[in-house]
Parts: sequence; C-alpha cells; structure tokens
Amino acid sequence: MINKEHLLTDVEVARFIVNGYHIVEPDLPEGLNEGIARQLDELESNPGAAITDVVPDLWQVLEHPALRGVLVSLLGPDYEVLSPRHWHCKPPGSDHMQWHQDGTNNRATRIDHFLGLYYPRDVTAEMGPTIIVPGTQFRNAPTDRMATYTNIRRQVPLVVKAGTVALTHYDLWHGTAANRSGVKRHMVKFHFQRTQENSEPTWNHDPEELNRPHDWNLRDRAEDVNNILTFGNPLGVSQSDHYKERAIRRKCWNSLMGG
Amino acid sequence: MEAVKFDSSTMPRQRLLYLHARTPSVFSEILGFTLIEPIEGYRAEIAAEAQEWPYQTVHDALVDGWQIVQFPHLQAPFSDQDLDVVGYEFILQRLEIIDDQ
Repeated sequence: MINKEHLLTDVEVARFIVNGYHIVEPDLPEGLNEGIARQLDELESNPGAAITDVVPDLWQVLEHPALRGVLVSLLGPDYEVLSPRHWHCKPPGSDHMQWHQDGTNNRATRIDHFLGLYYPRDVTAEMGPTIIVPGTQFRNAPTDRMATYTNIRRQVPLVVKAGTVALTHYDLWHGTAANRSGVKRHMVKFHFQRTQENSEPTWNHDPEELNRPHDWNLRDRAEDVNNILTFGNPLGVSQSDHYKERAIRRKCWNSLMGG
Repeated sequence: MEAVKFDSSTMPRQRLLYLHARTPSVFSEILGFTLIEPIEGYRAEIAAEAQEWPYQTVHDALVDGWQIVQFPHLQAPFSDQDLDVVGYEFILQRLEIIDDQ
C-alpha cells in the first residue's frame, strides 16, 4: 500500500501531461548516492540492462516511497520496471549530444510508459547535463528532422543535485551539453510501464479541482487542472499547434481519470 | 583543369543561420537558433548555460544583413491533429570575408 503523502496532486499530474517531465528528489540514506557514483566510476565496461545486478544499491532508489508515489500516480499501482536499463557515463571532455528521442517516434495520447533518469552525483552546467525541451513529447518528429536545431528557447538543462530522478515522457526531445568539467557525469536510465488500465485516478485526486472556470488573467499560472491543460504552452508555440496540444492533453487526462 | 585556389583574404565564405520561427511570418518570435560559422573545427553545440540570442525574429536578422536562402516548406500535408517539428525553419546566409589565417 502506497503512502498517500507521496502521491501527486491533480496539478502535478496536469503539469506532467503539459511539460512531459517531473523531478523527484527522494530523501535517500546518507552516502547512498556517492556510494553508487563511486561504483559507477570504477566500472570498466557497460553492463547494459544488468546495471542493477552490478550495482544493486540502485534498487534503494527505485523502491524509495517518494519515487514509488510518483510512479503509482502516473502509471497505476501495478507498474513495472522494465528490463531495458542503461548506465550513461559522460566523461570529462566528451562532446555534446544532439536532440533525439530514444526510438522511433510513436506519439501516444496516453501515459503508459516513461523514462526515469537517476543522477547519483550533483550535476553542474559544466558537467554535460541532460537537456530537455518541455512540451515536445507529443510531436511526431523523427530524430533526423531535429539535426538543424541547436539551442531551443525554453530548453531546460537538468542541473540537479545528487539523488535526483527526472521522470521524462518517452518522446520528450532530449540531448546533452558537452562535459567541460573534470568529473564523470553519471546517469542511470530506467523505463517504467503501466500494466493495468486506470478505472479511477491513482493520485491524490480532488473532484472539485476539475470545475474551475478559465482564468483569463492567470492562465496556466492558475493552480488548477483546467487552466493548466488549457493555457500551458511551455514551448511558446503558435496557435495552431497549441490548439492541437490542448486536444491531446485532454485525451491524456481523460484516460488517466479512467475514462 | 586547375582548381581556383581559395583565398580567404579576398573571397567570401557562407555563414549560415537556421532560425526556427513560431509561425511562417518573419515577424514571429524565434524558438530555435543555430549559427554555422564557415571556420574549420567550428561546432554548433547545445549549451547548458542560458542563451542570449542576437535576434528575436527573422526580421531582426534581415535588418542585420542576413538573406533568406530557404523559406519554410508549407506544402507538406497538414494534419489538424498531429504535431511534428518545432516551429518553421528559415535558412539564412551572410557572405563575408573571414580572414582566420
């Protein structure tokens, strides 16, 4: 049974749908992150999906109630940690990585699976952070078509503290900056998947939350689902794209509600 | 036939600018910015630091002497449901003598 304290609110679920990511900072045991980072420092080859066998302490991150609360909220109580797992090491002096998605683009209007990016060490801007573009997750844009983009106005570098897990929609555009520091930047990527359709919300849902009128002054800064889903425009896209996004978000929200 | 030797002190090179604008209008805000300098070893890199772009619109770049060599393709099939790339891509050039010797 999950502690309701760690479940997301309606607003947080709506923001995940709009922005395509959510940051979790679990309160992990002292020394755990640095211990994991040191074990990763010493790896001589990439164990691929066996990374959790080689570094079993990673399960303490995956099983932390703060992370589980978010996963239950977005994927239901029976979510799976899929076997594809990957350790990404960005050593000092390594180059930037172009925008991409982790497979063929297959935009879904549902939240059925997403990635978890765990950083065992503080990541500074010089260490080659992952960089994401909020709001790109619903775009059918093959990675080749992204090759002429470099910097995008509202890109977000994941400059995070040790122990952070960034949950990112599978289709969210992402890349990395170059590592100009003298420190290895580690990230372990996990893939989480829903196994059961929702018949009701699996987060801390308040039915009253859904009935707020449009706030034409605060727009998406109004802290409620209706205004966030309607007005959120993290990329600052044109009206045509924005209206399409709204329709996709509503379908996504309705499926999470069990509709 | 002997190729004409490139003389960087007298012959211009092509600087390229890829601007991804919010709409096909040159007055709309830029969402993406890529500058390609015709200099050996030059790399266009995604940066973690906050960016200050010299232009806010394609029109700003025109005022600064850039010329559009490719306008966004609008002939592609349009879907009223699907989303694809971010913004509309304008490719601009400025021919300049760049003496990096």
